[in-house]
Amino acid sequence: MPIGGWGAPPMRHSRGVDWQQLRALLVASIRLDIRSSRSRYGGSRVPPLAIVLVTYTVMGVLLAVALIRSGDPFAYSVFTLSGAMFMTALTVIMEYGTVVVNPDDFEIMAHRPISSKTYFWAKVANLLFYVSLMATTLAGPGSLMGGLTFPSGVAFGLTHYAMALLSCWSTAALVVLLYSAAVRVVSYDRFTNAITFVHTAATLVLTMGYVFLPRMLAEDPTLISIRRGGWLFAAPPAWYAAVVDMSAGGGIYENALLASAAGISSALLLGIAMSTISLSYAGRLSELASSSPREQNVKRRTSSRGGFPVGRLVCSGGSEMAGYELMASYLARERKLRSRVYPAFGLPLAAYLFGLLTNGLHDPLVAAPEGAGLNIMNILGLYCVFISFFFASAMTQTDQWKASWLFYAAPVDDRSALVVGARKVVIWRYLVPFFAGLFVLLSFTMPVLSAAAFVIVTFVLSLGTFSLIGLTAPHLPLSQSVEKARQMRQLGIVALLAIAMGVVIGIQKAFREMPMAGAFVLVGLVVGTWLLELGLRRRLRRRLAAEEFLG
Amino acid sequence: MAEVRETAAIELDGLTKTYGDVEAVRGVSLTIPRGQICGYLGPNGAGKTTTVKMATGMLRPTEGTARIEGFDITREPLEAKGRIGVVPETGALYESLTPREYLGLVAHLYHLDRAAAISKAESFLELFGIADASDRIMTSFSRGMRQKVLISAALMHNPSVLFLDEPLSGLDANTALVLKELLRDLALQGKTIFYCSHVLEVVERVCDRIVILKDGSVIADGNVEELKEMTHRGSLEGVFSELTSTGDLSGIVQALSRSVTGAGEE
Repeated sequence: MPIGGWGAPPMRHSRGVDWQQLRALLVASIRLDIRSSRSRYGGSRVPPLAIVLVTYTVMGVLLAVALIRSGDPFAYSVFTLSGAMFMTALTVIMEYGTVVVNPDDFEIMAHRPISSKTYFWAKVANLLFYVSLMATTLAGPGSLMGGLTFPSGVAFGLTHYAMALLSCWSTAALVVLLYSAAVRVVSYDRFTNAITFVHTAATLVLTMGYVFLPRMLAEDPTLISIRRGGWLFAAPPAWYAAVVDMSAGGGIYENALLASAAGISSALLLGIAMSTISLSYAGRLSELASSSPREQNVKRRTSSRGGFPVGRLVCSGGSEMAGYELMASYLARERKLRSRVYPAFGLPLAAYLFGLLTNGLHDPLVAAPEGAGLNIMNILGLYCVFISFFFASAMTQTDQWKASWLFYAAPVDDRSALVVGARKVVIWRYLVPFFAGLFVLLSFTMPVLSAAAFVIVTFVLSLGTFSLIGLTAPHLPLSQSVEKARQMRQLGIVALLAIAMGVVIGIQKAFREMPMAGAFVLVGLVVGTWLLELGLRRRLRRRLAAEEFLG
Repeated sequence: MAEVRETAAIELDGLTKTYGDVEAVRGVSLTIPRGQICGYLGPNGAGKTTTVKMATGMLRPTEGTARIEGFDITREPLEAKGRIGVVPETGALYESLTPREYLGLVAHLYHLDRAAAISKAESFLELFGIADASDRIMTSFSRGMRQKVLISAALMHNPSVLFLDEPLSGLDANTALVLKELLRDLALQGKTIFYCSHVLEVVERVCDRIVILKDGSVIADGNVEELKEMTHRGSLEGVFSELTSTGDLSGIVQALSRSVTGAGEE
């Protein structure tokens, strides 16, 4: 019996990969990447990926402009490439669920005649495409500016760009390799629960690395020099920068050694390791997609455990309580939501640890001594503000985004109370305990009064940011589907919000020089935040009264 | 030319799936000859979808084997999967593609000739009445429109075995009628159809054979008349109720009614 086209000679097969299928899957994945879902409840008309790419281009230009004055092709390349690698690693870590392992694909593809290898390599090709776009926007401006500035001209630009691509691909491959190894060891449920904390730890490590190097450079400006070859073997961006330096006529011996490290690591990561994963990819995905009833029961039991009824204390009515319970359930049970929010805690933790290691946690109420360098407290303050930014953005996205119908359809007098309840979960179950913990940690390193002053200022700033975003953002909690790049769009915007650090520094200075003025500023902040929250409540009430759920 | 083995279309042999202590499917064995429409019924949670997932290679059985036209779905997955078309219960598809793009993707995955695939996709979209929407992304599609795309995708490569899990879900009455007639026609052409549904009237009219599952095990297997005779009931609804109900249905109705109205509460 004829069975259509299937069974035709598989001419396009080689090494277990069906190239026709691979191409079709890749084209479909790219289409999905560049389109926004435009959901009924608030999907954007501009694809998140486009916003991310524009943001990354701005970051790439700023980085290139800031570093080009160094005049050293090697140091310039180390920094521009490490910036691109850092963002790539962060992106793949945060978006692993939609980029590489996506059990949602399983329902659509698992019954089709696609080999494990073909499917895996289609995923990898999609990842490489995605990473290439990022590398181009992050490091492309650096390649262009370096090509225009350094004497080796076009050769520098082209080599720099090629190394940016290769280094970012290898970084992505490393993250995929580590994650895939983890998925082999534990079940998907446990893995995704664990990954939430891995995200936090990875954010911490990456942030530490990112702030460590400039600090060390401030102490020893010759550190990033090809003549200091020894330690550079521990810094992957230097391996790829060595190739760029060779194109600019840099020293041969040290560069050749570092470049060979780049070549070997890339070949190992992109070739051998990925091939190994591809063999059992489909089988693994099948197991990930089917979580057992037993695990679900365990989950249900775990999540139904009672705790201290914070909601009853902080919510002023039944409607607020309903919103509180809904959001609390999602934050407790929705793995993807948690995995997008929790890494935010890794940032201030990294700053704190870094401050401890470098004695950079200066008392904010006492002026730092001359030549003390960067006060880590400022970075810590900034990262504390970032947490509320992460929450405000991530709490709008979930796989079960249709849950937001509640805000339009609930039979209550004031539906804005539901949203206020949802926001109170973030404040009372996450922000307050976090800042309380931070106060305890800081108390070990400075007078209690100073720690309290710092924590109060950053807490109020954090609340103000949370209210401001709530006031200006068009999306209600749980109203957007999870899409590739949405989280990175958020991170990109966060990176541009460094201006908040200026506020932290300003308030510290005001407290030091004129405590009364500092107190006034703090009171102003509190009042401002309160007014923002009132404005938010009023806006929500008007909006939700006007918008009816129409099905 | 594809290899043809002289065997039954679907052979399930001791198919079992356990999750820890829970046995979702217990040793299901069925042999379904070519050209038969087999209705697969059972209450919620009986194991129907799990059986379909194992038979289509989406889920690895804990024990037992599933063969499609003689090809073991776990050992020769590409050969076996190339012979089946599946309409999944979940209705999952890539919403951000257009129907034309989605069917084009499916055509490539089965190595269909490009021109023939385009013409076939056009004709499906036209016949199902969604040609006007063929270049719109499917995010805003109704359940019925999605179901039409899913059915088209399952039929694109002219499979010899079809697994349909609630295929009429969301379809309007006219399309449902067309689909029922289409299934009869495909069966006459020698295609085998494994049909899971809760709509007993449709199963009764369309299927040559009915298998009833309860708590993961097959509790009845035969044509409608045989099952009626076995249970002394006059309709498939009665047969199903007799075999799978755990309590007095009218009693449950009364209790539910009282719960809704609050009658009897102090």
